[in-house]
Amino acid sequence: MPRAKPRSARKPAGARRGRRVLRVLALAIAGGAFVAGFAAAGYFLSLDGSVRARFDGRRFAVPSKVFSTPAILYPGLDWKLVDLRGTLARLGFREAASPGHLEPGEYTWGASRARVHLQAFEHPTRSEPARDVVLRLEGPLIQEIRELPSGRELGAVLLEPEPIGAFYGVDREQRELVKLEQLPPHLVDAILAVEDQRFEAHRGIDLRRIAGALVANLRAGAVRQGGSTVTQQLVKNFFLTPERTLRRKFQEAAMALVVEARYDKHEILEAYLNEIYLGQRGPTAIHGVGEAAHVFFGKSARELDIAESALLAAVIHSPNGLSPYREPERAVRRRNLVLEMMEEQGRLGAEARAKAEAEPLRLAAVTPDPGDARYFLDLLRRQLSDVYDASVLETDGLRIYSTLDRRAQRLAAIALREGLADLEKRFPRLRSEQPARALQGCLVALRPQTGELLALVGGRDYATSQFDRCTQARRQTGSAFKPFVYAAALEPLNGAPSITLANLLDDSPLEISTPSGPWRPENYDKRSHGMVTVRQAIEGSLNIATARLARDVGARRVADVARRAGIQSPLPIVPSLALGVASVAPIEIARAYATFASGGIRPELQSIEDLVDEQGRTLERRKLRFERVIDAGTAYLVTSLLEGVAERGTAAALHSTGLRGPIAAKTGTTDREQDLWLVGYTPELVVVVWIGFDEPRSLKIPSAVGALPIWRRFVQDMTGGQIRGRFPKPAGVEEIEIDPVTRSLALADCPDRQSEYFLAGTQPTSICGEAGSGEQPAGDGVAERPPGREPGGGGEFFRWLKRQL
Amino acid sequence: MSVARRLAIGSVAIALCAGCAGRTSFFAPAPVVPLRLHEIAGEGDAARRASQRLVLQGLASDAKGQTRLARTSYERALQVDVNNPFAYLALARQAVESGDGASALEYLEQAELLLGAEDLRSPRVEPHLAGLRGAALRARGEQRAASELLARASDLAPSVWDDGQLSAAELR
Repeated sequence: MPRAKPRSARKPAGARRGRRVLRVLALAIAGGAFVAGFAAAGYFLSLDGSVRARFDGRRFAVPSKVFSTPAILYPGLDWKLVDLRGTLARLGFREAASPGHLEPGEYTWGASRARVHLQAFEHPTRSEPARDVVLRLEGPLIQEIRELPSGRELGAVLLEPEPIGAFYGVDREQRELVKLEQLPPHLVDAILAVEDQRFEAHRGIDLRRIAGALVANLRAGAVRQGGSTVTQQLVKNFFLTPERTLRRKFQEAAMALVVEARYDKHEILEAYLNEIYLGQRGPTAIHGVGEAAHVFFGKSARELDIAESALLAAVIHSPNGLSPYREPERAVRRRNLVLEMMEEQGRLGAEARAKAEAEPLRLAAVTPDPGDARYFLDLLRRQLSDVYDASVLETDGLRIYSTLDRRAQRLAAIALREGLADLEKRFPRLRSEQPARALQGCLVALRPQTGELLALVGGRDYATSQFDRCTQARRQTGSAFKPFVYAAALEPLNGAPSITLANLLDDSPLEISTPSGPWRPENYDKRSHGMVTVRQAIEGSLNIATARLARDVGARRVADVARRAGIQSPLPIVPSLALGVASVAPIEIARAYATFASGGIRPELQSIEDLVDEQGRTLERRKLRFERVIDAGTAYLVTSLLEGVAERGTAAALHSTGLRGPIAAKTGTTDREQDLWLVGYTPELVVVVWIGFDEPRSLKIPSAVGALPIWRRFVQDMTGGQIRGRFPKPAGVEEIEIDPVTRSLALADCPDRQSEYFLAGTQPTSICGEAGSGEQPAGDGVAERPPGREPGGGGEFFRWLKRQL
Repeated sequence: MSVARRLAIGSVAIALCAGCAGRTSFFAPAPVVPLRLHEIAGEGDAARRASQRLVLQGLASDAKGQTRLARTSYERALQVDVNNPFAYLALARQAVESGDGASALEYLEQAELLLGAEDLRSPRVEPHLAGLRGAALRARGEQRAASELLARASDLAPSVWDDGQLSAAELR
């Protein structure tokens, strides 16, 4: 039987306690480690969730970009008029010093020869290759275009569409996504050389790099390298705030480990190259090498050379402090440092480095923020929001090719802004210290046959007021509505028109009963002019004669013509409709006049050519659409009347101040001169100018003084003063000589003759000199003798008209 | 009536019948050589010439089956010269080919207006105008009116319109 162990042989009580403590400690540590491990696992799982949510979903918000219609160059074009050099600068072209080898995006300019290496334009259906072309210049004209090196003569070449804006989200980030495999290897090498030379080797964090960076920076006495890997920088930009705390740094490292564990290097690097911040352009942040290549060098990232790639890599360190625009010398020093590091790391040969270091800084010209197209961009956004969510427009990177003519838009903005400033200078009472009460205006220009919107300026300053007065405002049109009255009267109804241009109209005082009491229209000069010809009535914008004509024709019929022409706003069927009492948007008036300009064929408004998604698929394609709504003859007669307004009438200042060629125009001044309009067209352009205050008050000037100079300047700048083409006279219109006195047919023996246009079969039947010659009135306001030959009648009228002019 | 006289009358009648044998009707108009647009590529001012070159480019693309590219060329032609009737004619031809009779008629309306206004509506354009209008109406299911116009086009330019259609190459 064993004996009990002597007391001294047993372990002392202290040791037993120590073991117990150790056991408890071990258990506590194990428990703590378990809990910590569990917590860490949970933490990493949560990080993994965040990382996957971002990486597996849509990684980048890419704002949809809007482009103008491309400029077209062709022999015979006035390159000065179209501001070709300015256009090249805005497109980011660089002027090369020597005419030797030109890269895409470079040009040279001489006295008689310009050479432009056009950049490739990518589009699903109408891509254009990069091509080197020579323009032979003679004075302001392009005489010939030849392609190099073949020497082939070209009939026309297209410049790429100009970017005019984008639909940003709240962060205003601009980027163009690139694929890693599309980028030149030297760009990736340059970035990795300076940002993360062991990128392929590490697992998200690089302790050697941190130590190396510390040593390198100490040796250099400056921060040459950062300690963060590309993965850490990506994580920081993607998920974290920019604060510099240990906690955030830890989070960054942990997330970098998760990203590296979850995704391959290719994906990480591609995401980084698309995410990295590279500076500001105005309020817009430039992200990614794709966008930066366009902003800095005016070219695609895939076309960057070694020096340009090194510059982009250099800028990453401090995008604003090393901006090549603001700090060119610092940027070049940093670029050369990148090149040096590339050579040290075996990514670049010595010769290539020396060559790249010798490259001067060649940057794309800084193009001003195209703020003057923002009303147009807003219109596009409103139109597109019917089909696409705002979030799609802000994040899905659509490419919207618009109809906007960049040059027309710029000239329109200048004409309106300076025109309003001139008016305020001439009439100081129009000035207001409060921007919200400032004199306002809008200008819209269309191509009449196709309805393409070429320019839209909805106000004098977008920054002050984003309300678009061309498309969102409804204002009374005043006399600018009268052409619809004349169209209604000249249009054959049941075979015969109410009037012809041989008729006379009665401009004597008129009173029309209305439910709200008698209505007595007055002329602008507060006088009546007796019997006047149709031309005199519209050229002098006579209210009484027009109101009487509208009464005879019927307000309903006038409204019908206006609607058919393109007015969509409600039109009250009241006698005063004839004098423009209806409130209408300027863009509606533009479209309705376009119907006259294109011979009675109403165009559908077009603002988009096509819309392409990020993958290069065409989502929308415009279709030119028109519809005949007024017969060609009637439309031509109205155009002819409006040509008279521009030649002799209230808009005669258009021609007298130097515009040559066909113009049809109508002034419009509403009651108390609260709205001033000039609506006019040439064979290729419809332009509407409206001037007024947002809270209507009198300007105390007529439209010929307020709106006309702006219209004139815009058309002058667009055309160089020589308007091309002519208004097409349709087959159903005849030009016939009539006696200006009796308004009857004038044969060779008639003492006075003048040409007039008639729809076939509606010309006068009586012959001058015959008993009873002269047209019969078509209504009680239409008579047969012109005022000019009546004592105190037309003579007075002409004197009045002269005073107006 | 003498035998010689009878023979003479008979010969004239036979000759007349022979002459008319290839026509669809006795009163059919005399054939013309239909207009091809390359013939007038050098006419007009600088903008019109450039516009015409773009129309011809478009027709070349159309002939290769690149219809979207072709349409862009026609639209660019209008950008340079919005009053070029031949750009509308080319658009009408393309619309007919794609079976869009309504659009074709709209383009034809513009083309006819502008051709008339510029005194360009020569007899050589007539077969195309008649034929395209006929083909557009046919596409819209208006067979009777379509047949008459297509027959007229065929009478005017049998070499082109005998098959009831105008290819891009035939217009080019």
